[in-house]
Amino acid sequence: MKPNVLDVSGLTKHFTLGGGLFGRKKGVVQAVSDVSFSVAGGETLAIVGESGCGKSTTGRALLRLLEPTSGSVKLDGEEVTGLSPGRLQALRRNMQMVFQDPFGSLNPRMTVRETLMEPLLLHNVATGKRAHEATARLLETVGLAAHHADRYPHEFSGGQRQRICIARAIATRPRLIVCDEPVSALDVSVQAQVVNLLQDLQREFGMAYVFISHDLSVVRHIADRVAVMYLGRVVEEAPAAQLFADPRHPYTRALIEAAPRPVPGLRIAAEPPKGEAPSALNPGPGCAFAPRCPLATDLCRTTRPALEPAGAAGRVACHHSETAAGLSVAEAPPQSPQLAARLAVMARARAAQASGTPA
Amino acid sequence: MTTANAAPPAEPIEDADQVTAPARAHWFRRLLRDRAAALALVTLALIILGALFAPLLATHDPASNSRSIMTPPIWSPMGEAGHWLGTDGQGRDIYSRLLYGARLTLLIGFLAVGLGGFIGSLVGLLSAFNERIDPWIMRTMDVLLSFPAILLGLALVAVMGQGVIPVIIALSVSSIPDCARVARGIAIGVMKQEFIEAGRAVGLSNIQLFKRYLVRNAISSIMIFISLRFGQTILIGATLSFLGLGARPPAAELGMMASQGREFLLFAPHIAVIPSVVIFIIVLSANVAGDALRDVLDPRLQA
Repeated sequence: MKPNVLDVSGLTKHFTLGGGLFGRKKGVVQAVSDVSFSVAGGETLAIVGESGCGKSTTGRALLRLLEPTSGSVKLDGEEVTGLSPGRLQALRRNMQMVFQDPFGSLNPRMTVRETLMEPLLLHNVATGKRAHEATARLLETVGLAAHHADRYPHEFSGGQRQRICIARAIATRPRLIVCDEPVSALDVSVQAQVVNLLQDLQREFGMAYVFISHDLSVVRHIADRVAVMYLGRVVEEAPAAQLFADPRHPYTRALIEAAPRPVPGLRIAAEPPKGEAPSALNPGPGCAFAPRCPLATDLCRTTRPALEPAGAAGRVACHHSETAAGLSVAEAPPQSPQLAARLAVMARARAAQASGTPA
Repeated sequence: MTTANAAPPAEPIEDADQVTAPARAHWFRRLLRDRAAALALVTLALIILGALFAPLLATHDPASNSRSIMTPPIWSPMGEAGHWLGTDGQGRDIYSRLLYGARLTLLIGFLAVGLGGFIGSLVGLLSAFNERIDPWIMRTMDVLLSFPAILLGLALVAVMGQGVIPVIIALSVSSIPDCARVARGIAIGVMKQEFIEAGRAVGLSNIQLFKRYLVRNAISSIMIFISLRFGQTILIGATLSFLGLGARPPAAELGMMASQGREFLLFAPHIAVIPSVVIFIIVLSANVAGDALRDVLDPRLQA
């Protein structure tokens, strides 16, 4: 077993509302509460959940782009929380980030060369002429050409900009890259290229990814393990295959059910949960999912379930995880005869086209 | 994403050469395409050149009196050949005094706007960069904002004595809060963008982040505001001179010349009217040029 690159325990980030010169505190938003996980070298941990569940806040708190309220983050065994600003800057060499918006995350007044040389010079990876060579190499590594170096970000498409962002992130050969929805702003065809690029780079350089996403199909493709977040807490964490085949938490199940799948005629097995997630401003004492959960009992509404081992290698926070595991996952339905006939016609046409004979 | 499985690994399909932004005309050429802006720029340039080369262009010593007092301009039947724009109440050549007067007026305007704009922008940028000092700085600016420039000028002259320097200080101080507010507004817009966070994630120090990310992205919008502010500052400067603060006679300053002509307004109106018209032209040209500059440079106004 490889040693862990990242160890997170009890990570918490609360935002205080109000304040200012004469303002009073109006409340506390519990964006992330007591999140713990670890990531091994070369491994991809995906964090999934609906918008507002705290997954981006978790990613930023890991890198101390947001100051965590409490908890500990260890990178290669070194404590990140509580480091002095100078030490933290030096440590950033080993932890980088790829952002969601490729149009907003590059300085529009800096050429690609300036953008890529910045981390190299800052962390003394390369200097002078060698930094220029390294920049050209980086561009080629991410599938761009060296002559793109003297252009400005607005001259590139979204996919190309995201490649530049990835080049900037891998410039210092970090141990960990936090990818915050790196493909959700891109076209589907470009998404595939960028995801595959990330996978290739991981194979080549062996860094660990924390891959934040709401797109389960991307996660299924790239992740080794998946952590599901709901209202600031991890409700289930398991190897990707296990999580998708055998979800233990009712919320994970609902999330998987809600993802669109390209199977015609597929019906969902259970009713989707109704209502909204409760406010992070004042979550109740029980399980945050209880108001929407089909399995909820009085116990769920009064006592928050702890994250406990479940299945082969997972953890789940649910009082009724055994019941939840028993529920069936939607399966492909028997096709109607009409649909089967149409699909057969299409398949024949495609086969004819492929063999070169006119249908 | 089912396509991910089918696509070959990291094959760049898009070609950067096809997505290059369309070539745009240089901003200065686009500026000159606006007729009013071109006229305003030419006028300003002529006045600035006249002021710069005043010693070469002047026909008389701007401070020396002559026997012909209150001569009207040359196009009037009473005009004298030597004095193109006539003479003032003490027989000084108005054309020559205008050149030297524009010199002082423009100098006061440039220095005041430069100094006030620089300090104000820096304060505003810092305020936007650091949330903790922001409320304190902006409340201080509110206090400064409630202090009229004319009152400040009077107070400074009372302490330092009449002269150009207290006027420049008063004008600078009065432009600081305006510039700070505008710079802060622009900088907050920049700070909200993701590349600031990206720069921090790369490991930049605060100073590098401030200089390379914030200032570089905010500076052009701030410069546009400062250029718009120039006309206004000239006007307040002239007002202070008109009230008898500022330049000490016999030095020439446009506002002071208008003020001196006030006594003869009924029988020799040109003495007050000519410098007033020049102030009017300078301020109008500066505003028109500043507006056009904003239209050309501000990306938010471009379709």
